[in-house]
Amino acid sequence: MLSYLLKRVGSSLVMLVIISILIFVALRMLPGDPTTVALAQGDGVTEDAIANMRAELGLDKPVLVQYWQWVSGFISGDFGYSYFSKYAVSELIGQRLPATISLTVAALVLAIVIAVIAAVVPVLLRSKWLERIVNLCTAAGMAAPVFVIGILLVLFFANLLGWLPSGGYVSFERNPAKAIRYLVLPALTLSLAIAPQLIRYLQGSIDEVRWASFVRTARGKGIGWRRTVSGHVLPNALLPALTSLGITVGSLLGGSVVVEAVFAWPGIGQLVIDAVNKRDYAVIQTVVLLAAAVFVVVTLIVDLLYGILDPRLRVAPSRRAAAAPKPQSPELTADGLLPTEERADV
Amino acid sequence: MSTSDTEASDTAAPDQSVAARRPSAWRAVLGTPGTLTAAGVIVVIVLIALLAPIVWPNADTINAGARLESPSGAHWFGTDELGRDLLARMAHATQLTLLIALGAMALSVVLGVVWGMVAAAFGSWVEEILMRTADAIMAVPMILFALVFVAALGSNPIVLIVILGIIKSPLVARVTRSSTMVELTSDYVRGLTVVGLGRSRILFREVLPNVFPVIAAVATLNIASAIMVEASLSFIGLGVQPPLASLGTLLKIGYSHLPGSWWYALFPALAITVIIAAFNVIGKRLERYLDRRSA
Repeated sequence: MLSYLLKRVGSSLVMLVIISILIFVALRMLPGDPTTVALAQGDGVTEDAIANMRAELGLDKPVLVQYWQWVSGFISGDFGYSYFSKYAVSELIGQRLPATISLTVAALVLAIVIAVIAAVVPVLLRSKWLERIVNLCTAAGMAAPVFVIGILLVLFFANLLGWLPSGGYVSFERNPAKAIRYLVLPALTLSLAIAPQLIRYLQGSIDEVRWASFVRTARGKGIGWRRTVSGHVLPNALLPALTSLGITVGSLLGGSVVVEAVFAWPGIGQLVIDAVNKRDYAVIQTVVLLAAAVFVVVTLIVDLLYGILDPRLRVAPSRRAAAAPKPQSPELTADGLLPTEERADV
Repeated sequence: MSTSDTEASDTAAPDQSVAARRPSAWRAVLGTPGTLTAAGVIVVIVLIALLAPIVWPNADTINAGARLESPSGAHWFGTDELGRDLLARMAHATQLTLLIALGAMALSVVLGVVWGMVAAAFGSWVEEILMRTADAIMAVPMILFALVFVAALGSNPIVLIVILGIIKSPLVARVTRSSTMVELTSDYVRGLTVVGLGRSRILFREVLPNVFPVIAAVATLNIASAIMVEASLSFIGLGVQPPLASLGTLLKIGYSHLPGSWWYALFPALAITVIIAAFNVIGKRLERYLDRRSA
């Protein structure tokens, strides 16, 4: 177990190092420089002004030194300063974090509720029709980009019915009732965007145990179908579905950027978009690396948790395939990741 | 004894039928109502994109008297804020959307094939570095990764192709590597090695044609995904910039006119969804068909 743990932690760290290098290379090695944007407004920008600004931002130092300063700062929680507003990046993120967290947590909870209902109810009722409807909705949901879902919801609930505001944000401290009204549509949008992949995953793992011999035994002992599902099928099906949580969190982080743009939600996504427009590298590199770190850490925790809960997985991945029953659908690829179609894109 | 015999013949039978079915791969992929519809949709969309300059040559003509008109006989999808016909603008935008997506797909295939084949052929630390890098790229939410590049390079259509091509290539690299590794252990590759063929010749001339079907499936899915990411970028204002317009750009502008002009946001939104769905359906079907064939 210890060697498994060390191995997983080690490979996660390697992954983060590679990501940080990729981000850094993209921002520093490629043409384009924040100083040109910052000084573009004023006429007659002198070479001195540019050189001064570069020195102030530390852009004149050797690249390796810059990288080391960034990464060592990142690890110790010092994210540096924004190139433009002169605020600490951590402060900027801190201001936006509550909005993003309330959005993503609400969306995740909603998505799980939607997914469990959509995957379980057709099985419970043994209704082929319901299953077909769910599958159709899932396929449509996978094809519809987040912002399309958002726009359709706005058209319907805000413009046509006028029940909910089409955008904006009110914090919980100020007015809880109003905050929830503003939260409903963004959270629903994001949850509908990630629910389809959760549904697919749940359906797959339910399908796998649904025909297992212990379910047949339970039925043979005379236990009713509903009790069999709740007592035998679900407990065994929900655990494998847990592994999809890492991917779901990744989709949440990407999706929230777009959802925040649709609903003028003042979260991290808006911060990034703003930073990209201004070429505020300090903000971009930190937020993207943080997002990657969240994804990698969640995946790691889920993996380890799964290793504790299911001892078959404590062996190396190559032997894992032989030891653990292979999920029917969605099938895992050799690398233990979902096949392309199951990963939401944004 | 008798059971093992029937088992053996059971496993042998599908092989033969697969071999017999192989010539009709087209039918196997396009043989369901869903995939046939999807293929039809793609053909229509490509035709619209190709014929846009001929059918709607005056898409950019500003007509101040017909601003933001709702759909009518003259303007099926209504008009935009400058009185231009929305259907015509969407046709032209579809052209750009498809161009970027196909370009990105092509780049992702070229990059990914080389990436995966080099990893499979060299093994050891080269493979380790290459595949860890692929994992790393896939670990960052695509849109955030794209934003890093947009910040560095800007966002004209060519740059978008490059960005999307890079982001989508690790997937191609991964399937190329795993199928190549299977091929490399096969008898014909060993035979060719014994005969004395060079490694790159074996890889690109002999192995590549055999792994190509798998790559085609991923490539189709990459088109769908490239359209999705490009539209997302354009929608948040960091993709295709006016006066150029992809469907995502139109949607962004349409969304800002939403309270009154519902059609301006609705039609581009539906178009994007339908196009993505069509490519998704074909790609998935292709993937499933190949899975079954190799199983």
